[in-house]
Amino acid sequence: MPRPTSASPASGQRAEIEALLAPWLPEKVDRAFVARCIVDEGPIHHRGASYALLRLLGLALAAVGGPPAARGETAPIALRLPPHLRRGHEDENFPLGVPLAAIERLAPRGSAAFDHLLECLCDGPPHHALANAAMVSVLDALLTRLAEGRSGA
Amino acid sequence: MHEPSPRLGPAFLLAASELGMASTAHLFVREIAASGGDELVREAALGLGRDFPVLGCIATRWLAGERAPRPAPDGVLAATHGLARLLVVGLETAWLDVLLPACRGLEIGLLIGDGDSSADFRRVLANYEDLAVGVTLAELHRWSGRRSGLLCFVYGSDGHVVRVPGAWLRVSGPDVRTQFAALIGWNILGAAMELYPRWLAETAASDFSTIVEP
Repeated sequence: MPRPTSASPASGQRAEIEALLAPWLPEKVDRAFVARCIVDEGPIHHRGASYALLRLLGLALAAVGGPPAARGETAPIALRLPPHLRRGHEDENFPLGVPLAAIERLAPRGSAAFDHLLECLCDGPPHHALANAAMVSVLDALLTRLAEGRSGA
Repeated sequence: MHEPSPRLGPAFLLAASELGMASTAHLFVREIAASGGDELVREAALGLGRDFPVLGCIATRWLAGERAPRPAPDGVLAATHGLARLLVVGLETAWLDVLLPACRGLEIGLLIGDGDSSADFRRVLANYEDLAVGVTLAELHRWSGRRSGLLCFVYGSDGHVVRVPGAWLRVSGPDVRTQFAALIGWNILGAAMELYPRWLAETAASDFSTIVEP
């Protein structure tokens, strides 16, 4: 199968991811930053794969009514600064974090398994970690909606 | 008929180190025109354009009727909306003179020490007291953050390739790109220059998250 060769995403991909993230990132500057890191940075095959997965998850979430209004606690994803240059400011975290409630679906908070999963999701290059955070956010919302549907049925 | 002085090139280079290539070019073209009219501007474009393509470009456009820079900060202000800090790569005083006073509330840094030993940045920064501070490459990371942006002067674009100060290539590596929320190019020349842009570097327009056109 041929590998993707163009570094430029199809027109509008970034805008589509920005729109998808709007419920979690109300500030445009934050949405633009996170969407750029996901679909315009890192290896080309990752950009396209993350775009496709996020868009499909977004379609699934839209089909069940979109994200619920409540936003729970998140674990921050740090900017990839060399440790000796970190100042410890909130500004040194990416605007999007990993929702802890989603991980609690898999392991109790405070358990070694919970910590391990969270670390895996937050680690790696920014395009990886932010795509993880975005997908987990959408998946958590999707699972919440599906549970609401079951309990209402 | 007047001829451009052979000392014009070194003088241009010295002035450009503290004012910027485009800002100095507009200044020189205006003075050359005052001294010898369009004919001397044409001579300057031919004689100096190859060595200093930005000067050649601006002289040629002067002859076509574009008589002054039109620095307007609105596009950059829109692109910086939501940011708290902006680090400027490159130096163009004609544009900074308009932009910096309009950026109240935004902390501004000017990247200094790009290897041009003729530039005296103490003099440059003295013009922007209370508006901007000098930032060395070693301090770059301290300006990063989710509400931080990089702004780079762009010297023309064909839509795919842009001309930028070489410093941009040193600050926009894959690590830095994801440490700044916005990567803004400010195109101060519009269309691409026809001559090879010596003194500058070429890179992809997609380096930037936003390019503000003139």
